[in-house]
Amino acid sequence: MHTELTGAAPPAAAAATRKESLMPPAISVTGLRKSYGSVQAVRGVSFCVRPGEIVALLGPNGAGKTTTLEIVEGFRARDGGAVNVLGRDPGDKPAARELRGRTGLVLQDIAVEPYLTVRETIARQAGYYRAPRAVPEVIGLVGLAGQERRKVRALSGGQKRRLDLALGLIGNPELLYLDEPTTGFDPAARRGAWELVRGLRAAGTTILLTTHDMAEAQALADRVVLLSSGVVVAEGPPAALGGRDAERARISFRLPPGVPVAGLPVPGGMQNGVVVVETARLTDDLHRLTSWAMRHDVALSALTVDRPSLEDVYLTLTADGGPSGPPERSTR
Amino acid sequence: MTAGAAVAGHPPYRRGFLRLVAHQVRYEQLSFWRNPQSAIFTFVFPLVFVTIMGALFGSVGRSSYFGGLSALQYYVPTIAALCVLGSCYGQLAVALAARRQNGILKRVRATPLPAWAYFVGLLAHCVLVSLADIALIVGVGRLYGVPFPSHWPAIALTLVLGAASFCALGVAVASVISNAEAAPAVAQLVLFPLLFLSGTYLPIHSALLNRVTGWLPVRPFNEALTGPLSRHTGADWRQLAVLAAWGVIGAIVAIRRFRWDPRPE
Repeated sequence: MHTELTGAAPPAAAAATRKESLMPPAISVTGLRKSYGSVQAVRGVSFCVRPGEIVALLGPNGAGKTTTLEIVEGFRARDGGAVNVLGRDPGDKPAARELRGRTGLVLQDIAVEPYLTVRETIARQAGYYRAPRAVPEVIGLVGLAGQERRKVRALSGGQKRRLDLALGLIGNPELLYLDEPTTGFDPAARRGAWELVRGLRAAGTTILLTTHDMAEAQALADRVVLLSSGVVVAEGPPAALGGRDAERARISFRLPPGVPVAGLPVPGGMQNGVVVVETARLTDDLHRLTSWAMRHDVALSALTVDRPSLEDVYLTLTADGGPSGPPERSTR
Repeated sequence: MTAGAAVAGHPPYRRGFLRLVAHQVRYEQLSFWRNPQSAIFTFVFPLVFVTIMGALFGSVGRSSYFGGLSALQYYVPTIAALCVLGSCYGQLAVALAARRQNGILKRVRATPLPAWAYFVGLLAHCVLVSLADIALIVGVGRLYGVPFPSHWPAIALTLVLGAASFCALGVAVASVISNAEAAPAVAQLVLFPLLFLSGTYLPIHSALLNRVTGWLPVRPFNEALTGPLSRHTGADWRQLAVLAAWGVIGAIVAIRRFRWDPRPE
């Protein structure tokens, strides 16, 4: 044994094991708990966000998303559990102050002063940071070029939201928090915001966002943490959430009048006039079905192949207000 | 990733004390002067008031009713005090409650700007507004024959101390009120009777009332301004002490109760 070389052996060994992931997580939350009076808003939430990743806290209203986010941001004290953000504890006051210089946030509500211009609003915020981004750069980044001299009160809701985002970005944060970032956007503005968020990730920004919009989680997040009633009910890449990728696929179509379901080469059932075939061997069954149809000259109208959508998984996992015991990865 | 580690131990904002406060004041001023509501309440109302009083009582000379002063000598300091109250206490309480409600305070809190810089910036802004206000009122008073004051250091001291105390009280009221819609009503509800009883609008000749209001914040401020503005006396230390005590009480409530977040903890 070489104890004389390594000094205190057990802690060093533990540190070595932890080193196997190259970089420490940007955020790690372990067993987080928070109650408001007798209401347990967050009941043992754990997750982590790796550097450069976009993670979405997804869940219905009241699931504990915002409370969790606010504890991570350092706005709210926790009752129990551990939180580590960029190597510091946001519950510790000096650490929280340092973290404010390295993180940016966009709140649920539009929070901008009405009588300043776009440029003034951003320049004011820039003055709070040690090494901010350039004001014109951020204006361009959020798509407000040409609006610099307009008063905030004259902007549309979507433009104000972009200004909000600009304020979150001006400090050049390593880590960005977005609380329901596209609420109230029209579809085009939402796509624009998504592009912007992806661009930020490409530039190396780590992002933790909350949303109750499954399309948004699916479009943006590398990983989704699905919360329900204060516990994590599922976690993983959106495509695999709740074991969705391993689920049986579903083939659905309409048969012309007079063609019986019983005559099909694969077992199927009727749902609202649509034939539904559930299968674990999609390629085989689809081939069998379509060749049968061509042989018998039967048109399979509205032919669709799908898997349970993220929405199906979301609704299943959050339906009963969440499990009271330890979280499960799948309810099926 | 290394930026934060390299600067650990240093404050995370990049500017010195004065530059940071100046930065804050600049944008507070821009915001203030462009908001027609604040401009009207803080400037037009007191000016109209002095002008009306001048039109009504401009020809009335010194009288015992006004404590040995002319009517305008009486009203110039009380209206000046009213302006400081309006911009420091009233405006501040309402503005802070509104900013908290719509998340602006939370957003400020999320930046490296230290809390003291935010509040010192607000105070400096309020002092500037009060200065402009007082200059205007003294100017209008001059038109009605009130001579220019001579004790400028005493005026400056009284003004800064009064502004600080009423700012502290304004922040305290904003801390206690939880919703922004109620803020203007509560702020005025407290202030309006006190203004009346403290002799802002009419001289009060009840010794008992004057004794009581002498321990509340408004009357000492009126008195402290009347000395250097109309009686050509220096700083009134006793009144300033009462005022400062209220400022300390306000500051204690503000520090203990102030919330940046619209949602309760």
